Amino acid sequence: MPFYRCLIPKDSLTYEQREEIAVAFTDVHCGHSTAPRSFVQVAFLETDGSGEVADSHGSGVLRYDTPYFIAGGNRAGRSEETKRLILSGLIEKFSEIGGIPADMVSGRITEAPASWTMEAGRILPEPGAEADWLEEPAAAA
Amino acid sequence: MVTFEFFVQEGCVPDESRPRIVAEIEAVCAEVLGAEAGPVSVSWTVIRKGFGFRGGEPSTTSLVRSRIPDGHGSDVRARFLRSIAETWRNLTGAAEDEVIVSARDWSWAG
Repeated sequence: MPFYRCLIPKDSLTYEQREEIAVAFTDVHCGHSTAPRSFVQVAFLETDGSGEVADSHGSGVLRYDTPYFIAGGNRAGRSEETKRLILSGLIEKFSEIGGIPADMVSGRITEAPASWTMEAGRILPEPGAEADWLEEPAAAA
Repeated sequence: MVTFEFFVQEGCVPDESRPRIVAEIEAVCAEVLGAEAGPVSVSWTVIRKGFGFRGGEPSTTSLVRSRIPDGHGSDVRARFLRSIAETWRNLTGAAEDEVIVSARDWSWAG
C-alpha cells in the first residue's frame, strides 16, 4: 500500500502519460514518507465522468464532481501535514503530466491501519517502520 | 456480512477460475470468521493492461480488499489474511509478493 486509483475519462491519457504519472506518484509518495517504492500501487480506471467510487480503505463511496479524480488509500498514522503534501503533490503531478487544468482534478485519501493489510505474506509495518520490516527476511534467513 | 473487492491486472486471473476462487474464499470466511460472519459478497475490477503500475513499473499484483464484521482480534485477522492470500496464490499461481490482502472492520470509516 498505498493504492491510488485514478478515475479518468475514456482515452484521455496515453500509455506514456499513465506511466509517467505512476512514476511521479511513486516519487511524491516516497518523497513525503519512508515507504519503499514497491509499496506504491497506481491504477487508472476509465469512467463516464464525475460520479462516485467505492472507498477502498473506508466505508461507503467517495463522490467527486471533476472529470479526473484520485482515490487514494494509505496506511493510517501520518500527520495531517504529510497527508496534505502527498495529495497536493499527486494532483500537481497529475495535472502537469496530463496537461489537464488543476481545477479539473480532485482527490481524496482515506486510511486504514497498517496491521489490517498483508503484503508478501507479512503484516504491513506502521508508517516509519518500513526499514526494519524490509530487513526481516534477510535476518530470518 | 463480508464483502470483497478484487482488483486484478488484466490477464493475471483467468475468467474460468473465478467461480472456484469465490467458493474457496467463502470457505475461508466460514472457517476463520465463523458462520456468524454472514454472507459473502464479491466484486471484480479488472485493471486493463497498461493501466496498472507498482513502483512505477507495470504491475502483476492483485489487491484483495475486504470488510469483515467488527470485533475480531489481531490473531484472527492475521489468520484470515494469511488464509485468503494462500488461497489466492494456490488458485491463480501468483507469487507471494503478487497479492496484497486487507481486511478492515465493517464500521471503519476511513
